Amino acid sequence: MSPIDKKTLEQLTACAGAYNAYESDQVMTWCGGCGNYSIQNALKRALVLEKIAPKDVLSCFDVGCSGNGSDKIETYTIHGLHGRVLPLAVGAKIANENLHVIAAAGDGATLSEGVNHLIHAVRSDYPILFLHHDNQDYALTTGQASATTPQHCKMNGTPQGVKIDVINPLDLVFSAKPSFVAQTTSADIDHMTDIIREGLNHKGFAFIQILQSCPTYNKMMTDEWLMKNTQRVEELESYDVHNLIEARAFIEKSEKIPLGVLYKNPRKGNFIQTLSHREQYKTTLIEEVKHVNIERFIKKL
Amino acid sequence: MERTRIKIVGQSGSGLLTAGELISKGLQKLGFHLCADREYPSLIKGGHSCYTINFSETPVKSLSRDADILVAIDKHSLVAYFDTLKKDGVFIHGYEKMTNIPDILKKVEERNIETVNLPSRQIAFENGGTVQMANIILTGMTWKVLGFEFELIERLIKEKFAKKEALLNVALKCLRAAYDGVSVETRLIASLPKEKNETILLDGNHAIALGAIHGGMRFYVTYPMSPSSSILTHVANMSDDTGVVVKQAEDEITAVQMSLGAMFAGTRSMTATSGGGYDLMTESVSLAGIIENPLVIVLAQRPGPGTGLPTWTAQGDLNLAIHSSHGEFPRVVIACSDPSDCFDNVQHAFNFAEKYQVPVILLTEKVVCESKMTLPSFAQNKIKIERGLASNLDSLKQEDRYKITESGLSTRWLPGGCDTTFFANGDEHDERGVLDESEKAGDMYAKRMRKLDLIKANLPKPKVYGPEKDADISFVGWGSSKTVMEDIIAQYGEQDVSVNFLHFEVVWPLEEEALNMFFVQNKNVHLLEGNYGGQFGMKVEALGHMFAGKFLKWNGRPFFIEDVCDYIDNHTKQ
Repeated sequence: MSPIDKKTLEQLTACAGAYNAYESDQVMTWCGGCGNYSIQNALKRALVLEKIAPKDVLSCFDVGCSGNGSDKIETYTIHGLHGRVLPLAVGAKIANENLHVIAAAGDGATLSEGVNHLIHAVRSDYPILFLHHDNQDYALTTGQASATTPQHCKMNGTPQGVKIDVINPLDLVFSAKPSFVAQTTSADIDHMTDIIREGLNHKGFAFIQILQSCPTYNKMMTDEWLMKNTQRVEELESYDVHNLIEARAFIEKSEKIPLGVLYKNPRKGNFIQTLSHREQYKTTLIEEVKHVNIERFIKKL
Repeated sequence: MERTRIKIVGQSGSGLLTAGELISKGLQKLGFHLCADREYPSLIKGGHSCYTINFSETPVKSLSRDADILVAIDKHSLVAYFDTLKKDGVFIHGYEKMTNIPDILKKVEERNIETVNLPSRQIAFENGGTVQMANIILTGMTWKVLGFEFELIERLIKEKFAKKEALLNVALKCLRAAYDGVSVETRLIASLPKEKNETILLDGNHAIALGAIHGGMRFYVTYPMSPSSSILTHVANMSDDTGVVVKQAEDEITAVQMSLGAMFAGTRSMTATSGGGYDLMTESVSLAGIIENPLVIVLAQRPGPGTGLPTWTAQGDLNLAIHSSHGEFPRVVIACSDPSDCFDNVQHAFNFAEKYQVPVILLTEKVVCESKMTLPSFAQNKIKIERGLASNLDSLKQEDRYKITESGLSTRWLPGGCDTTFFANGDEHDERGVLDESEKAGDMYAKRMRKLDLIKANLPKPKVYGPEKDADISFVGWGSSKTVMEDIIAQYGEQDVSVNFLHFEVVWPLEEEALNMFFVQNKNVHLLEGNYGGQFGMKVEALGHMFAGKFLKWNGRPFFIEDVCDYIDNHTKQ
């Protein structure tokens, strides 16, 4: 684990009060060593470092261990249904684009129950930040296999081992022409903080894949394993973050799991920007709820 | 009240919709009242379709089973629909080989039917057109039979094909040839109305789109499903002018979740679907229930189960609307019956949803969605926008959002609206939104349920049509049965039999007082409902009332005026 750099540490120390505003007084309910602690920590750090106030944040949580973080952060928060966090968050963002909308969901929600939402969120480039908590299992339902559980692992409900191949979430996202794809890990809180900050500043759909340790049900992908088997792409000499085809190929051929912003295209034009008929509108949809004169339409009847 | 009943029949894609709409528009311009609807199969080309128009000098809101004028675009539909044509009727067609249909010719003779026939394909070819011009030719023939001026129908066709010059020229030539080809000696059916009624002409889906936009809906998100789909068309067509955001989502779950999220953030948003799509939405309806989030879903009914009859009508999803979704929570179900109350009720739906922080289901039926009716123009700004939002933003505490109150209603404010954040939790929660698994969880549950009493105390009174009491025969119903009953009551008002009708717009929760009174004051009360089980009837019976009879219909057709006449005649004879 790399030590936090001095400048960031100073910045964080200077805004300790702001950080505390995000802290809730609820009892932690995750297992000891769960990746969720550091993910939430990194998220709060990123928000504070980006000088975003809790009142301007809408956190949207799916159901599962990640969803149990919903009462551990003080923002406007909604804890919805399993698999459905993306459209819920998107609806809120379309209504009020001034909100920083963050959605969080696990690999069960994202790649099984609601995989259709992921594809269309990427394709539509909805301007929200999405944290994909990928611990390679269903934890809250006591350790069943997910779409990212490696082949041959024996899980609750699959005593013979998982027979079918995994879905690679990065490859799936790349296939839908994303505008921002990053990978980080719960083992490295500073790296997560940096990546989430980049995601917060992205103007389209920011997909952040977080390789998350699950000490109870995933004995293979420990923090130590993650630190040993990953490599930051920013440390590579010739990595081109703007080349989708190469990025997609790189995740396949890289010996170590690549971390960092793997691809970004700030020029794609997010969903809200594509609403050309609203170019002259300076307001958000929540400010426009009033009677609209329909005389011009009635005349044609 | 004399109505003239026209049926235009042909294969889907043969242009009968254009013919029906042109004739309807013409009749409206002449000052008639009318009601028109299209029966069609769930395909784009082929199959029998029928466009029914009923028009009169006085208001007409229901459809007929039978026809005075049958306009046939092709042979197959002619055979399929011929028996709807009544004695002394007029049979208009463009089919050249009448010798192929001896049975029809025999019936023409027996029923004293007048045939108006021109060779439509020949006229089309002679004027540079194709067989596709048959609808225009039949429009011209029908217009002449009705005895109306050529210039009006010519002007409407010019408007219709304004952007297709070459087609317009051919259409006008065909129209002229057809109009002139029909002898002025034919039976002229209609005379112009003495008073020219100024009306608008539209269907229920169009009215919902207009009502929603007028009532402040800024985000419409849906997945197409008959018979709700044309709401999307209408809202989208108004988006350039109004800035409303329209999204065709990847599925119904997405549509309802986006709508829920948008309402949570604080705009007015709506989604629409039919039964199958609504089934997919039900988990989200339940979420709206527990987080006390406003939600408006239009549930456009068609016969089920399964894919059922996608393009036909039904009232079979009342129980679905009232009882769908896991757990118990308050909701409001409102049913529309005609374009006029579609326009109003969609605005009421938003007010109910926001004031009481509940999901609202707006029920329509295919016959409501797609029947075009003439009606007085909409009154704007009549229904106040009521949002039920907090004004004391400076003094809010987190726990105010889900405060356990006597009425069940807690303070609602919008994300980003003030420094006091709140937590909307789909898990059972305490006043701060935090998961609560203690026995006190029941207190939050009861708080939500108390809102049902609050809503019940503030319901509009259901309306009695016809005399208040002592009717010879009475009916109770909801949704589209109102339109047929309005016509029936007007018709029987001129006869010896007195008929009345208690109509519910808000079908859940039930306003019991008016119901009790109606049963006390009337002794021969019947149920009129478009499903097999009599779903609404069961709600009424659960309150201890007994129906003298039930008129139920579930074959995809609406209640035609003749159906109800027959039923009344059978149940009032001494």
